[in-house]
Amino acid sequence: MKSRALAAAVALACVVPAAALAHHSFAVYFDPDKEVSITGKVTAFRFTNPHGTVVLDVTDQQGKVTEWRAETNAPVVLMRRGWARDSIKPGETVTIDGWVSRDGKPYMRLRRAVRADGKLIGSAAFGQADQS
Amino acid sequence: MRALLIAATTLMVAPAPAMAEPDLRGFWNLSFGSEQPPADLIAKLPANTVVIEDTGVVEFPKDEYGGLKMKPEALAKATAWQPEDDMLVSRVCLAPSIVYALQGPFPFEVYQTPDLIVLKYEYFDQVRLIHMDGRGHPPADAPHSKMGHSIGRWDGDELVIDTTHIAASTITNNGLDHSDKIHMVERYRLSEDGKSILATQWFEDPEVLENNGARYIKWTRQTGQYVYPYECDPSFALEYERIGKPAGQ
Repeated sequence: MKSRALAAAVALACVVPAAALAHHSFAVYFDPDKEVSITGKVTAFRFTNPHGTVVLDVTDQQGKVTEWRAETNAPVVLMRRGWARDSIKPGETVTIDGWVSRDGKPYMRLRRAVRADGKLIGSAAFGQADQS
Repeated sequence: MRALLIAATTLMVAPAPAMAEPDLRGFWNLSFGSEQPPADLIAKLPANTVVIEDTGVVEFPKDEYGGLKMKPEALAKATAWQPEDDMLVSRVCLAPSIVYALQGPFPFEVYQTPDLIVLKYEYFDQVRLIHMDGRGHPPADAPHSKMGHSIGRWDGDELVIDTTHIAASTITNNGLDHSDKIHMVERYRLSEDGKSILATQWFEDPEVLENNGARYIKWTRQTGQYVYPYECDPSFALEYERIGKPAGQ
């Protein structure tokens, strides 16, 4: 399925406490007050601690492709929410929402990921009152 | 026969044997709810102590230290710290010391014997030995490690762990580092229903801090669970380096 336009609607949403940390600090890297949602074609999925990484090409309305990276909680945390090494495969289209990097780079912290058919990946999103 | 009766009577009036120590064995996961720590537990902290509120999910942003007062050199170092400093292949998988690792949202397992308690942490696959056999700490020049050297004792129904020989590392994961002179004392007790551990983690570091720090931490027992291997992969830092660069470069 063709990637949808970048929907980086950086919305001032409700204040959301930081997601669970692994090695580096959520609060230092990500803005808990700025949410972002992107849809793109996955080019890589790294499922190793201290954080997993989803790399995806996101095409905007002008056709420009930007490579985004979505950092996940530690895979040990993801595994308890039904994630596995092959939960996301290169080539598939996913929508990821979460919190954007403070430095303005195409980098974000994943709160949840859904497939093109709208199905949530894993058993629950990450974020407020997070459980590891 | 008379002697037997006397012996039996003695047994009946003799004080009951000392209560066995609380059983802390099992899998414990951080309790993510926010609640006030028990006042009596906080009251046992030494004077000049600030309870910092970064336990679990919450972390301090840059330049916030929760009331910890730093000596000038430590403050200057923390102020100069940049997040990218830790996002290097050479650093991203350096395990933090127990001072920071203890409060994170990762589970641990407890193995308990009268002379030794083993704490197996999921975070960075770390293991602590808590010596309960009455020994002291090794000489000051003995090797230091991220988990340090721990000796424990029972204070009533509370487990008190005294830890020294902790290698220098982070306190708050945002540039505030402790020295290898840090001294940590933890106090653990079971909740009344036995389902949770309520704990304080206190620390002093005369080389870095003007005051003392502490955290309140609560974990909940979960059955049928195990810690997973952590096996940190430093190539995560390479992903970070690639952010914002054109694909393929």
